[in-house]
Amino acid sequence: MTNHFGDVAGHSKLIFIIGANSAAANPIGMKHFLQARDRNSAQLVVVDPVFTKTAAKADHYLRIRTGTDVAFIYGLLHVIFKNGWEDTDFINARVYGMDDIKAEAGKWTPELTSDVTGIPADKIIQVATLLAKTKPATVVWALGITQHSTGTSNTRILPILQLVLGNMGKNGGGCNIIRGHDNVQGSTDMCCLADSLPGYYGLDEGPWKYFAKSWGVDYEWLKARFAAPEWMTAKGFSLAKWWQGVLQEEKTYSSSPIRALWVQGNGITSMTQTAKVQEALDKLDLLVIADPFVNEAAVITHQKDNIYILPVATQFETEGSVTATNRSAQWRSKVVEPLYESRPDQEVMFAFAKKFGFYDELTKGMKMGVKDRQLTHVKDTFSWPDDASLEIARTIKTIGCDGWTPERLRKHQENWDMFDPGTLLGSGPVAGEYYGLPWPCWDAKHPGSPVLYDIGTAVNEGGMGFRNRFGLEHEGVSQLPDRSVTVKGSRITGGYPEITKENIETVLGIQLSAEEKERMGANWKVDFSGIIQEKCREAGVAPYGNAKARVKVWEFPDPVPLHREPLHSSRPDLVEKYPTYADQKNNFRVAVRFISEQKAQEWVKDFPVMLVTMRVVNLSGAGMLERTSKYLSHITPEMFAHIHPDLAAGKGLRDGDMMWLHSPQGTKIKVKAKFSSTVTPDRIALPYNFAGVMQGVDMSSNYPDETRPYAVGESSNTITNYGFDIITQIPEYNAGLCRIEKA
Amino acid sequence: MNYEQARMKFICDEHRCIECFGCAVACSEAHDLPVGISRRKVLTVFEGIEGKEYSTSIACMHCADAPCQKVCPVDCFYIREDGIVLHDKKKCIGCGYCLYACPFGAPQFPKNGAFGTRGVMDKCTLCAGGPEETNSALERQLYGQNRIAEGKVPICAAVCATNALLVGDAEEISAIYRKRVSSRGKGA
Repeated sequence: MTNHFGDVAGHSKLIFIIGANSAAANPIGMKHFLQARDRNSAQLVVVDPVFTKTAAKADHYLRIRTGTDVAFIYGLLHVIFKNGWEDTDFINARVYGMDDIKAEAGKWTPELTSDVTGIPADKIIQVATLLAKTKPATVVWALGITQHSTGTSNTRILPILQLVLGNMGKNGGGCNIIRGHDNVQGSTDMCCLADSLPGYYGLDEGPWKYFAKSWGVDYEWLKARFAAPEWMTAKGFSLAKWWQGVLQEEKTYSSSPIRALWVQGNGITSMTQTAKVQEALDKLDLLVIADPFVNEAAVITHQKDNIYILPVATQFETEGSVTATNRSAQWRSKVVEPLYESRPDQEVMFAFAKKFGFYDELTKGMKMGVKDRQLTHVKDTFSWPDDASLEIARTIKTIGCDGWTPERLRKHQENWDMFDPGTLLGSGPVAGEYYGLPWPCWDAKHPGSPVLYDIGTAVNEGGMGFRNRFGLEHEGVSQLPDRSVTVKGSRITGGYPEITKENIETVLGIQLSAEEKERMGANWKVDFSGIIQEKCREAGVAPYGNAKARVKVWEFPDPVPLHREPLHSSRPDLVEKYPTYADQKNNFRVAVRFISEQKAQEWVKDFPVMLVTMRVVNLSGAGMLERTSKYLSHITPEMFAHIHPDLAAGKGLRDGDMMWLHSPQGTKIKVKAKFSSTVTPDRIALPYNFAGVMQGVDMSSNYPDETRPYAVGESSNTITNYGFDIITQIPEYNAGLCRIEKA
Repeated sequence: MNYEQARMKFICDEHRCIECFGCAVACSEAHDLPVGISRRKVLTVFEGIEGKEYSTSIACMHCADAPCQKVCPVDCFYIREDGIVLHDKKKCIGCGYCLYACPFGAPQFPKNGAFGTRGVMDKCTLCAGGPEETNSALERQLYGQNRIAEGKVPICAAVCATNALLVGDAEEISAIYRKRVSSRGKGA
């Protein structure tokens, strides 16, 4: 989130929700949208293929055809540009590349957009008018936008809309992406990913050397842990397609097939292609599951041996910080000692590290610290979680975690009542600080940044420009803004580059001492000494620079986002006009099909119904945790699919009948038909929150004694269609096809 | 400031209720109810119909002239001074008259035994226990938690994600609701 929930409740006049069902996925977040209606007369616009519980609260509901979000936003931009409703001053001063967007938007007339998206043209004009005339407006989205073969384009076109409207860096504006699980923001920031070290540093040699230094280990030793040096900087297998590393049906690029899998705190059965996940699990030599509840990975496999389930403690049985959806850190105390033989996550990892013989190296970073502006060994023992938090604070500079010391976070926890929920601003013992020190929190004195990119607030009080991330120049055009974009209280008028050892004297107009020069890191991202930040503080400057936002990404296959039909499209005529990408040779160590899958056959002939997956409010993920509660299971005791009575009538189905849903991948699931007007007759919607039954076969006898949940069922993910994003490889959950047969 | 005796009431703001079931699940969990006994229910009306759909949460409404009390043949109901309607499970014979009389479907009957014989009636106590000694083990077993005696808000309203479910003195909660309705507009 660029802003926070209190800010939305207090300032937003229009809330544009697309691909998010916050009423089911984040009820507390939803409260703030409803408060904004009550307090600011804010209007709610909801765009979704299904009439959700969020849509039920909307002033304007737009039913979109799945996978056409980019086309829809261009349709809005078309109307906005045509009427000259864009924020010209904002665009000229703070945005690069908007002409290309304008050119693309020019093609998307309301009539064309309506044909592609299924939203009536007058609705498109009405909502575009509302957006242009109502300021500030905030844009909200979640997995309905990201989980597509065009997920990256989707997530880019929405901030572009906000840049066009000039809604960035303002109270009540911004892009507010609602996280759906506890600490998802934290695990993202720590990059539990196959293509980056923590803090979005990437996997190049430079970052590895930086981390080696922070961890106090020899870079060469780290490198030697890999089968060959080239694997150190290569992306690993992704969560979406790891199973190809085992099965190797598509071309893979790895030193060896995957033979062992260790799953800790991850519902791998909530990913798509569950039938493939099952095949891969069956072929593994070793499966280790570490979770507080029995992860269904251990249940849906046919293997009887070589599966180990380790009981891991819950968050109530350990201590430390988590990160909320608005970038605030929250400290949590241990409530009870770990029950029975379960152990906290880190203890499990420490025990493994001891057995594998690298415990000392794993924990060495927690004994390091900055002394006399130099990173050095400062103690012989460490204490959890304080020293782990300190390691994060001194290392993760890219997003500004420097100020997140355990002392400060504990103080915020102890003074919850002293913060204003509307502004996050504290008083009394925490006066002047924002709750949870939302990152960037540049140093131990910084109050946190509640609203990103706000140039009307001084950097030392939480303001900033856009980050200088993409160089100083592109095609001869400066990426720095002119003097009209001066961050309040800054010594520098207008834009400035990110601060490095090389440019700091010129940019800030200062003279460094010889000692400072010696101790300083190469740039703000790797400066353990803290001198760069110290000098930036004095100058009221953000170390990451003050640049323009770019709306064209010249490294991507689509420099400006383009509408591309889903691989399994309900509109073959549009596939010709808006085909998907060429097949991808290697992303995350595996080949990915795009056009060959899209063109393999005219899918809609055999699979005529659109398949939309959704979440039910009482279950999250694969429901591993919630289905062990009798009360939560009682709400949805069995798997079902929302189906419109008109569609059901043609199949001879009555409410409550069982039906088979078949997918283009040849998989099928047996679920109960639940008549519903939330869907139209061209689509069905079903939850992904069940597991334990695979293609009609109940696997729940595989649960260890006394651990079978109250509810088991088929997962929609068994029939979600093949498809992955071209950049992130996130699976296509939300735009696919299926065929319905009475069971 | 109103110095009159408070009359405890629930209001569910249907413009706020999103059918998250938080109230119902928290109620069942807090009072350790058998599955199927729904002291509090969450309902959605006109589901899927644009412009008409709404959700709400219903339990015993603690009526001033409670019909349940009027029809009970064994006179097991009593109304506290603060308006909370309670009943004595030791007197109740499970006849079900109250269920017919109640416009909200609040009385619940456990179905046990081969023929679904009714047990003693159970319903929302506004988290105020029953006639047994306050916070005793027996009160807990028969009626669940007595949060009111501990100075706590009933669990359903305490956990409501969107502040849809309001509980408290009728005057005060209707003032909150009135303020919401009057400031709620249809345009910026």
